[in-house]
Amino acid sequence: MELFLESGYVSLNKYGEELCGDRVEAIYHDDSMTLVLADGLGSGVKANILSTLTSKIICTMMAQGMPIEDCVQTIAGSLPVCNVRKIAYSTFTILNVDKQGNAYMVQFDNPNMIVLRDGKNLEYEMNTRTIEGKKIHESYLKAQKGDIFIMMSDGTIHAGIGTILNFGWQWENIRDYIVEHYEFSMSAKTVAATIAQACQDLYMDKPGDDTTVAVMRIREWQQVNIMVGPPVNPEDDEPIVKEFLGNPGKKIVCGGTTSSIVSKYLGVPMTTELNYVDTGVPPIGHMQGIDLVTEGVVTLGRVLDICKQAVSESNTDTMLYDKRDGATLITKMLFEEATHVKFYVGRAINPAHQNPDLPIDLSIKLRLVEEIQEKLEKMGKIVNVKFY
Amino acid sequence: MDVYVCVGSSCHLRGSHEIIQIFQQKVKDGGLEDKVNLNASFCLGHCMGGVAVKVGDKYLENVSPENAAQMFDEHIAALVE
Repeated sequence: MELFLESGYVSLNKYGEELCGDRVEAIYHDDSMTLVLADGLGSGVKANILSTLTSKIICTMMAQGMPIEDCVQTIAGSLPVCNVRKIAYSTFTILNVDKQGNAYMVQFDNPNMIVLRDGKNLEYEMNTRTIEGKKIHESYLKAQKGDIFIMMSDGTIHAGIGTILNFGWQWENIRDYIVEHYEFSMSAKTVAATIAQACQDLYMDKPGDDTTVAVMRIREWQQVNIMVGPPVNPEDDEPIVKEFLGNPGKKIVCGGTTSSIVSKYLGVPMTTELNYVDTGVPPIGHMQGIDLVTEGVVTLGRVLDICKQAVSESNTDTMLYDKRDGATLITKMLFEEATHVKFYVGRAINPAHQNPDLPIDLSIKLRLVEEIQEKLEKMGKIVNVKFY
Repeated sequence: MDVYVCVGSSCHLRGSHEIIQIFQQKVKDGGLEDKVNLNASFCLGHCMGGVAVKVGDKYLENVSPENAAQMFDEHIAALVE
């Protein structure tokens, strides 16, 4: 069975710094994904340059199938040498997983990677090698569906040092914390945000070091299909709805006219809730055979707002998903459940939406979908858009 | 009497939410819970004359938060009392 690899990360900048000295790079190649977290020496511009070079070089070389020795030699040979400390230095953690679940981990001087299986800590063996005078720890393991790999920079284990905690938030504490807060449905980004938020709290909102958590989650292929807007040509209603419903996975229908077309095709009634959970988002509807029915453009506008907030790398808000309005429900399905998203976008234009008196521009459906697609792709999802 | 308030995009932006609240209050004040069945509906197809409200088989157009109370008295309460 083919696995899907999802990644997400959160970075907190050292208090007062514009740039983060930690860097996360992800690259897909030959059916596998490589995720690299590099932490440059010091902070600010210098650290940022060191970690950017390190992560980019490793990602590119690993993707070409070069052995780790070559990567480390290249980094050691090409990083600029720090004037103060007379060394070129950036720690790194590399994780490479292919779609058959073969995981290869390389760790150098970052806190050890935490691996969760079924929500519990998984111990793994490490072989130590010395390359260019650096002690490199290598591990191989067979990943399974549901496994979560957590990579961290040392900002995490130093959280709270000298203020709230004497010795910082130690590795064991972080491991226990995430085991305790683990839920099966958590996306990679949510896992990263959960740990980063705890660090942020321990630092009392003033991180003493760049703090980064990067997560890869191994999951099964799951498609979510969204139909937005009716076809330009009403004769296409039936074939399009038929194709849409024929897709595997969950189905979301957005828009009044669109949902009535689907309701007619399925021969089942549609009901609309009267309760507004959020006054800015119209209430949702219900239809047998469809997982979620919502209003169209206003709801999608809010979905895009949530997407923008969620892809921001400093965002640690996991409370996002607690609401029950149409837009939050769509976002939750797209972020937490979907690995593949298929949009069916109708280009029919509602004449009422061309009305200049309305407070917002409603004729923006196509652009909304485009922007949502871009954000979802940033999260590593495979997005398909079909216009009709 | 079934009453449907449109909550489609266009009507939503013109204040469906407030109208529903006014109608709910009106039903409560008038003790009409048994006579008026209040619902929301996606686009009723009267976008140009929003907010649209369907009362039985008829459509009310241009309902707004300002005239909602009056519309309710004239076109809904009057029919069921």
